[in-house]
Amino acid sequence: MKIVDIKNLTKTYKKNRGIKNLTFSIEEGEIFGFIGPNGAGKSTTIRTLLNFIYPTSGSATIFGKDIIKHSKEIRQDVGYLPSEVHYYDDMKVIDLLKYSAGFYKKFNPKRMKELAERLDLDLHKKIEDLSFGNRKKVGIVQALLHEPKLLILDEPTGGLDPLMQNTFFELLAEERKKGTTIFFSSHILSEVQKMCDRVAIIKEGELVKVETIENLTKKNLKYITITFERAEPIDLKLEGIVKKEVKGNEITLLYSGDIKALLNKLNALPIKDLLIEEPTLEEVFMHYYEKGGVDNDF
Amino acid sequence: MIFKRELKRNLKSLIIWSIVLSGLILLTLSIYPQFAEQQKEMTKLLESYPESIKKAFGMNELNMGDLMGFYGVEIYMMTTLLGSIYSAILASNILAKEENEKTIEFLLSKPVTRSQIVTEKLLAVLVNILIFNGISTIASIIGFQFAKDPDVPTDTFSLLIVATILLHLTFGAIAFMLSSLMKKTRNILSISLGIVLAAYFMNVMAGISEDLEFLKYFSPFKYVDAASIINDNELKPLYIFIMAAVILISIFTAYMVYRKKDIAV
Repeated sequence: MKIVDIKNLTKTYKKNRGIKNLTFSIEEGEIFGFIGPNGAGKSTTIRTLLNFIYPTSGSATIFGKDIIKHSKEIRQDVGYLPSEVHYYDDMKVIDLLKYSAGFYKKFNPKRMKELAERLDLDLHKKIEDLSFGNRKKVGIVQALLHEPKLLILDEPTGGLDPLMQNTFFELLAEERKKGTTIFFSSHILSEVQKMCDRVAIIKEGELVKVETIENLTKKNLKYITITFERAEPIDLKLEGIVKKEVKGNEITLLYSGDIKALLNKLNALPIKDLLIEEPTLEEVFMHYYEKGGVDNDF
Repeated sequence: MIFKRELKRNLKSLIIWSIVLSGLILLTLSIYPQFAEQQKEMTKLLESYPESIKKAFGMNELNMGDLMGFYGVEIYMMTTLLGSIYSAILASNILAKEENEKTIEFLLSKPVTRSQIVTEKLLAVLVNILIFNGISTIASIIGFQFAKDPDVPTDTFSLLIVATILLHLTFGAIAFMLSSLMKKTRNILSISLGIVLAAYFMNVMAGISEDLEFLKYFSPFKYVDAASIINDNELKPLYIFIMAAVILISIFTAYMVYRKKDIAV
């Protein structure tokens, strides 16, 4: 069953770029990544799905229900974590969580305590006094508390330290085991790669591609910077070099081949330093625009 | 949920406003006995006031030596004006605050409809205004006991209270509509308070100068003028109709706007 089904969804603003003709769907039980640079339209899509804003044209359903006509029913089973959490300053954490829980049919105080404990969140602090990361934790508990069937997460890891990110990913993995569908929006490729089954890539308001992570990681694109001892022309020929740039004694590569082959080759060369990084999204995009369009093997 | 939350959030300001207004009412009414005793000299003193001042505050049409008349001139001005300011502040914040402080993203992600949000917040405004008026009415009744002859005609007094509540609801509804239309609470507050004060001064000006008398039609304060209510013992149906219309149109607009607007923070 399609949990989210988006058809030709368009939202145009007067000034800002919106989204154009988005069409994709999310299956039950999958973790679906939604990735694109800042300002690509990720939040606009999510806000339209939750009916904070009205689409200019097109339509979408969640649980088979229309996002505008049945928005309230839909939200009964949706947990939403916004990219920036803003709560009522006069409340304590526990007040907010209880207020939030009051809107749903079920409230499980035991679950609230467990979640707070796992995330190391003090329930009796004033929200006003919390750091950005701790506020985010309130947001996470608030989104998970009523055991929603669909979780919509907008840049969920921002503000969380790496340890907390791990706990958070564990929580998501548990939710998934229960059959929860997760819509995971992010601009960080690696975390989407780690968590998701499929991803939709969005750029400038338009859908570039929907792809399984398997196919994405098969490419295993790396961004490699090699510094040589001297600036002299070195002939570096290897299968899998997508792009090469030479600047003095520095060579940068976008490489999708076998890492071992690269290291063997480098071993014989006078290298001073080596840096292997995840390519940024922009570079990934560049990669397949250069190869001539979106219907490539990426 | 939202209704309860709004009552709680606005409780502090309700208490402060109620205490201040009740204190003023009690203080003012406590000087009434002396005032009534020296009525003759006082009346003379008042008569020496410039005609325009008397007109502006309705002193020319009301007998200040009489408890009801004293209430109409002294207390009524406070309950109508301060209460209108309170209502405007209360209502102008109530919807827009969520957008201004971006908490609306939280609220809208819960299973509630937009109409539900408007309804519950509107109810909170109504209940707050009613409680506020209930307290000030009780304060007035207590204050009346200072007088030697504390009896006031119940029907006239009730009319004055109803008129006051209607006035507060009128300004409350206008501010509520602005709260649905706009996002920045500071601007809404300024405009709402501006409307209340402009209306008040239009009423005063209309009393002073005959040339400016037409202004009275624009001022809800004139609709609930104490002198005409006390002297005629009625609230003019036309004025009730105008205020009811303003209230209903404002509320209707608030619903229409809020249900259809894009709320992006």
